[in-house]
Amino acid sequence: MSALTLERIREELASYDGAPLRIMEVCGTHTASIVKNGIPSLLSDKIRLISGPGCPVCVTVTAYIDRLTELALTEGTAVCAFGDLLRVRGSSMSLADAKARGGRVHMVYSPAQMLDLAEADPQRTYVFAAVGFETTIPVYAILIQEAERRGIRNVKLLTSLKTMPQVIGWLMDSGAKIDGFIAPGHVCAVAGYEDYITAAAKYGVPFVVSGFEGPQLLATIYALVKMQGRGEVRNLYPGVVEKEGSPESRQLTAEFFEPCDAAWRGMGIIPGSGMRLKDEFAQYDAGSEGLTEDRMATGCQCAHVLTGEITPEQCPLFGKVCTPQDPHGACMVSQEGSCFNHFVARGI
Amino acid sequence: MCVAYPGTVIAVRPAEHKATVDFSGTTVDALTGVSDIKEGDRVLVHAGCVIRVLQEQEADELTELFKELEEAIRS
Amino acid sequence: MTESFIKMAHGSGGQSTSELIAGIFAKYFHNEYLDAMGDAAVVPGSGRIAMTTDSFVVTPYFYPGGDIGRLCICGTVNDLLMSGAVPKYLTFGCILEEGMPTDALEKIVQSAAQTAAEAGIQIVAGDTKVIENSGHPEGGIIINTAGVGFVPEGRSVGADQIREGDAVIISGTLGEHHAAILGKRMGLENTIQSDNAPLGEMTSALFAAGVRVRAMRDVTRGGLGTVMHEFASESGKTIILEEKALPVRRDVRDFCGILGLDPLYMGNEGKMAVVVDPADTEKALEAIRGSRYGQDAAVIGEVAAAENMPEGRLLLRTPVGGLRVLGPLYGEGLPRIC
Repeated sequence: MSALTLERIREELASYDGAPLRIMEVCGTHTASIVKNGIPSLLSDKIRLISGPGCPVCVTVTAYIDRLTELALTEGTAVCAFGDLLRVRGSSMSLADAKARGGRVHMVYSPAQMLDLAEADPQRTYVFAAVGFETTIPVYAILIQEAERRGIRNVKLLTSLKTMPQVIGWLMDSGAKIDGFIAPGHVCAVAGYEDYITAAAKYGVPFVVSGFEGPQLLATIYALVKMQGRGEVRNLYPGVVEKEGSPESRQLTAEFFEPCDAAWRGMGIIPGSGMRLKDEFAQYDAGSEGLTEDRMATGCQCAHVLTGEITPEQCPLFGKVCTPQDPHGACMVSQEGSCFNHFVARGI
Repeated sequence: MCVAYPGTVIAVRPAEHKATVDFSGTTVDALTGVSDIKEGDRVLVHAGCVIRVLQEQEADELTELFKELEEAIRS
Repeated sequence: MTESFIKMAHGSGGQSTSELIAGIFAKYFHNEYLDAMGDAAVVPGSGRIAMTTDSFVVTPYFYPGGDIGRLCICGTVNDLLMSGAVPKYLTFGCILEEGMPTDALEKIVQSAAQTAAEAGIQIVAGDTKVIENSGHPEGGIIINTAGVGFVPEGRSVGADQIREGDAVIISGTLGEHHAAILGKRMGLENTIQSDNAPLGEMTSALFAAGVRVRAMRDVTRGGLGTVMHEFASESGKTIILEEKALPVRRDVRDFCGILGLDPLYMGNEGKMAVVVDPADTEKALEAIRGSRYGQDAAVIGEVAAAENMPEGRLLLRTPVGGLRVLGPLYGEGLPRIC
């Protein structure tokens, strides 16, 4: 066999004529990177990429957003959030709407920035919109650790934290027909990929841990095509990911958080798929329990899009009432959302 | 999910659990989720937090990637 | 100026207003039309008139590499230039929030005067009002400018002139203004300076060199992606950009990387995208590179003649050879972290 080159990988992926394959990426940054690199245009029609439920913004239920907007509009309280969560609509408004109505909302790059804001303004309670997966959970652990060390009492978290292996298990148990997974590179950098070894064996599908550059993604898809039917895991992001992840980060997570059931937009409650603050840190919780109600726009098919059952175009709202300018479902809000990306590329 | 980006550590302040990380001129006072970190390290930063010290980069990343790939697909 | 802060009285029209005008505005803005202090400026000119207006709000009003004074001149001058006009006259309306330090106002006015001189445009009318403080300790400032220019006979530029095979040129690197402002607003320290600049030297050089310019647009909010999307949809032609050819500074690229932003959608205030006749590509590149603010100009794509392409689309050829459809910027271009 001659040595692999990018050229040869591209040729083989473009001319692939074997069994139709459905490959799912479960990380929103992979979704964004696949779009950014124009990867779908390089694949044979027999290879379909499906964006799974790995964008924390896209899987957030309306009750959570409602609680955030309520907090933002409460006297003496401010909400800090990452950028694109601001546009997600709850049952009546988004954080951006709450801000326009006089609510206090800060867009931050890092939870560390909230500590400085809170320290300078001790009369106000600062609540972080703590969304995210395994990669981000230790960051919130450090936030609490630092708040304790610096004696900052006016910070809380409103958590909607999710974990990947459980939702992948739920998808496969629900009958999703996926022939291979692009495993989330940065989640694995923190949490490792041992859980995927179990999942790969159980469901008989390959998982490949991938980086985020164009060539890395093409290599991963090529590996998944070659590995079809094999319930094995390969790591193609070795400079960053090790099998056991980052033991220190995992330990931080375990110190402050424990597994819980979690509500996913359109998918309902998936047992053990979330993380919550342990009871001993309850004073840092801004009321995250029981935020499970999920009032989706009538007709919204986000759930079926997230599980790969339908394409965004098959949703009755897509491109008609639901557009990037006026997103009804979460998959249209985020640049990582399947619907957003299909909308931009429509017709091609 | 999980945008993480590589930068270079230019200062470490262990008492504050912080490291200053440079991204070609943008500097971030990052919290550190890993303890074994020193000046000059290439690190991966997510949401203002160092989540990983990166291994030395191979001179030819792409060749290295394809070598890994060939091993990966061998059954 | 005796007062160190703007007060409501400065907008009263009485003695305090006169002091403000004499102490700050008249100190830096003067020419024969303005100095006449009439109710309206009476200026000479004839032919095809280009008019534009723009309002400027920016937080913070001093940012790395510039300030709202420089910005408001560049924005309006560049809009005139992009229509093929030669900018001539400008009005300068200011709405100040009480509490704004007068020395900050003075710096802004001074900066506007310097930029107007650089751009060769005269500020011929002005107005000032004061509103109540909205809670910002430093006060705020809103500036509205209207610009007038003249379009030389026979010159016709616009998206409707774009033809298949035309070349697309960008006058420099992408995203500095947006990165400088966003960095400041998000508390991220960096060395990135705004690129705010008037582009008159560049457009003059293009026309002087005889380049057949089809369309020009300054790259502002929404970034290159949004501007090129406008060109594609207004002309009904398919435009293909080469990602490898896009000039982006390393520091801006990394800044975008940590925030999950795309340099294609990061705004500038001193760059323009130009579509030219393909036979004039080299001439155009040379003219722009030889002008102030144009040294990093690059050819970044072409108007496609390819068949099987839907019309009016903007496409990007990526470094791995993929083809990606680019839309306009949706929403505000918020960072994407987790």
